Amino acid sequence: MILKVEHIEKAFGKNKVLKDVSMEMNSASLYGIVGENGSGKSTLLKIIVGEWRPDHGKISVNGLLGYCPQETLLFALLTVDEHFRYFAEAYGTDKSELLRRGESLMNYFKFTKFRNERIANLSGGTKQKLSLAIALLHQPQLLILDEPYTGFDWDTYLLFWELTDKLRQAGCAILVVTHMLTEKKRFDRIFNLEQGLLS
Amino acid sequence: MILKMLFRRRVVLLLLVLMPVVFLSVVELTASAKMILFRLASLEKMVFIEESQKQISLVFFSVTSTGFLVSFLALNLIQIDSNVNRRLVICGYHPFELLVSNLLALLLVILFIAIYIALLINLFFTVRHLPLYIFGLVLIGFVYGCYGLAIGSLVKGKLEGVFFIVLLANIDAGWLQNPMYYAEAQNNIIIRYLPAYYPSQSAIIAAFTDYSGANACFFSILYGSGFLILSLLVFYNKMRIKK
Repeated sequence: MILKVEHIEKAFGKNKVLKDVSMEMNSASLYGIVGENGSGKSTLLKIIVGEWRPDHGKISVNGLLGYCPQETLLFALLTVDEHFRYFAEAYGTDKSELLRRGESLMNYFKFTKFRNERIANLSGGTKQKLSLAIALLHQPQLLILDEPYTGFDWDTYLLFWELTDKLRQAGCAILVVTHMLTEKKRFDRIFNLEQGLLS
Repeated sequence: MILKMLFRRRVVLLLLVLMPVVFLSVVELTASAKMILFRLASLEKMVFIEESQKQISLVFFSVTSTGFLVSFLALNLIQIDSNVNRRLVICGYHPFELLVSNLLALLLVILFIAIYIALLINLFFTVRHLPLYIFGLVLIGFVYGCYGLAIGSLVKGKLEGVFFIVLLANIDAGWLQNPMYYAEAQNNIIIRYLPAYYPSQSAIIAAFTDYSGANACFFSILYGSGFLILSLLVFYNKMRIKK
């Protein structure tokens, strides 16, 4: 089991956002979590990746984690290439291998021509592609994607799903969180997050 | 990467260069040549020196402008990309690595500002011990830089951070440490415990006398280290992976 979420609860003031949320994920699987805006999806992901602490419950991640947040969290004044170098340093494993992988992800998502461009000058879609590429740089075993295809054009959207198929075949577990789920037949399981409860 | 991002903000660099020129030029144009007697408060012996109001003000404003510039810069460094820094931590960086790299970048900038302002003040008058005077400016940069890092780690909002900096820098570095004010102040024990006291004294001693400012330097480093430890603890607590 690569991810185990046990009885997670989280409240902000009196607002209980997550109430006893539990789920498990195995390798080579694609799971989805859907829910309306404000249903607590991003909160759950932030707790899974360790950004926030739950009020109650336990998370176990058994493998390398890749995380693509909802906001494209990038440095406005650095270029695409500089991001790959910076994040490769953060991942701390074979840097040259990570940079090669960054190169191939740039090719795959077709944004190589922007490699020397600062993030402030990029479109929302290209930023999203880079954000996703950073999450994939170290070949994670568990990939957590928060609204991953927002801003993608149709071709990139198709490339995204093609990539998730390849990753799953290679043994990666992927958790996609979105307010609007398409391609339902691709998923092994879809959860609905409503009023803080996962069903 | 931090320095790279800083150097790409051209208006910021321009203002860093321009602001001390404006500060010191205003002093040069407005301060009188009247001689003023004041006591070097941080020395154990009762030492009085007599200098012109203009020269005292130039040294005081060089300290003030270094403190102001560095504290705002430190605040900005730590606040501006905090969410992206959080992502770097999730990807594997230790929060300390990020804070220390910010601090190293800041120290380089402090050194540049201190040397620049010290050379600039030499256009107006010759300070007695230039290297020690530069060190005094580095100390105010260190103390207020670490204060900026601490506030940036503690406070999320940009405006709140700016107000916290203004609250202390304005009253301490920008007012109370002025030797002309300090000499006549009552309850000056309060002023002695403020962060700009020892760095200001260290710069003034180096600029006007042959006395040793070692004591002032030691307490400046101590004060700055206190702010640095506070910022390390708060930054680590905010940024660490929570399981």
